[in-house]
Amino acid sequence: MASLKAIRRRIASAKSTQQITRALKLVSAARLRRAQEALANSLPYSEALARVADSLLTSEGISVGPVEGAQKRSMLVVVASDRGLAGGYNSYLFRAAEAARREIRGAGFEIELFAVGKKAVDHFKRSGVPVALSRVDNLPRLATIALARDIAARMLADYSSGAIDEAGIVYTHFQSAVTQKAVYERLLPVKPPGDAGIQDGASVDGAMPKTGAPKIDYLVEPSRAELAPVVLRGYLEAAVYHALLEAEASEQGARMTAMDSATNNAIEMISSLTLEMNRARQAQITRELMDIVGGAEALR
Amino acid sequence: MAATFSFTLVTPTGMVAEGQAEEVSAIGPLGEFGVLPDHINFITSLVPGVLEARLPDGEAMHWVVSGGFAEVKDGVMTVLASSAESPESIDASAAAAQVRDADEKFSNLSFYDPDYAPAQEALMLARARVEAAALKPAPR
Repeated sequence: MASLKAIRRRIASAKSTQQITRALKLVSAARLRRAQEALANSLPYSEALARVADSLLTSEGISVGPVEGAQKRSMLVVVASDRGLAGGYNSYLFRAAEAARREIRGAGFEIELFAVGKKAVDHFKRSGVPVALSRVDNLPRLATIALARDIAARMLADYSSGAIDEAGIVYTHFQSAVTQKAVYERLLPVKPPGDAGIQDGASVDGAMPKTGAPKIDYLVEPSRAELAPVVLRGYLEAAVYHALLEAEASEQGARMTAMDSATNNAIEMISSLTLEMNRARQAQITRELMDIVGGAEALR
Repeated sequence: MAATFSFTLVTPTGMVAEGQAEEVSAIGPLGEFGVLPDHINFITSLVPGVLEARLPDGEAMHWVVSGGFAEVKDGVMTVLASSAESPESIDASAAAAQVRDADEKFSNLSFYDPDYAPAQEALMLARARVEAAALKPAPR
């Protein structure tokens, strides 16, 4: 049996670990709430935008498809976290990213990777996959409009120059604090509405809300042809922002769950160590008593 | 009592305003336009500028929008702005400094420079902020 002192030391260490994990859990719970709020706040905008995009981007005669003669390249944005301690969050995501890469390559596309988050950059560096672009903000919030705008701008620039003819994003779809699902969603070229295939993952509800309403006749200013690229940019920015928000909520949810179970493990460990400590102390006392009794007996 | 129509102003970070308005005016690529009740279904993009909504009680509300879209559908107007700032949140002297910087940058650019359009937008946004800051003591 370990010495009393060693057990006490282990209890102290488990206690301080528990303090840290509990604090982290509280922090991510607060951040999760904020991320969920942001997700809910972004909904009216994406719904209205989807309606506008539906009626404009898919009208006849407006081409928002890839440039003719575009290279068979696909931009794949992978949204991971900057920090660890989030359970299996990043490894699930990378598994989905690998699956998406296989699928895209199987369709005959070359891949241009865009790694978002420190963990994504590290992962691809470790596995020796060349990364074309990377972005590590290391801010307390992942989903910023500026980041979404930059990613969308980069996609559009390459798309309209013909450097890529497809773009997609791998992120974690937030279902609840305990369940998240890493999905691949193709953003470009834009699919006509009613075609549910915008998202290749199993769940469809994570895609940009698509209204199935009949097309509305609009007076369009300046003209459909001039407005289409502007709408496309707005649509792409909103889709990327939505993915970032989902990823942020998922990350915080995963971290909260991981830290909750770490805290519980620490509590369990402390109680079993305390039991062991009490036994060890009792054994020591018994031993000392035996010594005293033995000594008294010998003197008699 | 003049007729009103329902108006919403949303940005990616949330709903900014929602309610009835008598008239809404904003700036599109072809210039300023106004929307009154029973407007035809209509979509336009917006350029950076001041958006004004005249409310049924005669008050006017203003926001600086940095671009986006406006849609009128079945008499309901939705403005999708990339961002919307209220005049109260604008620092007039900072806005004036922004205009100076943006103006200097813009006037040194050739039309063919890839930065031309972004610089022009930055200048328009800065001017709109100054304009809105001047509206600050607007009747509330």
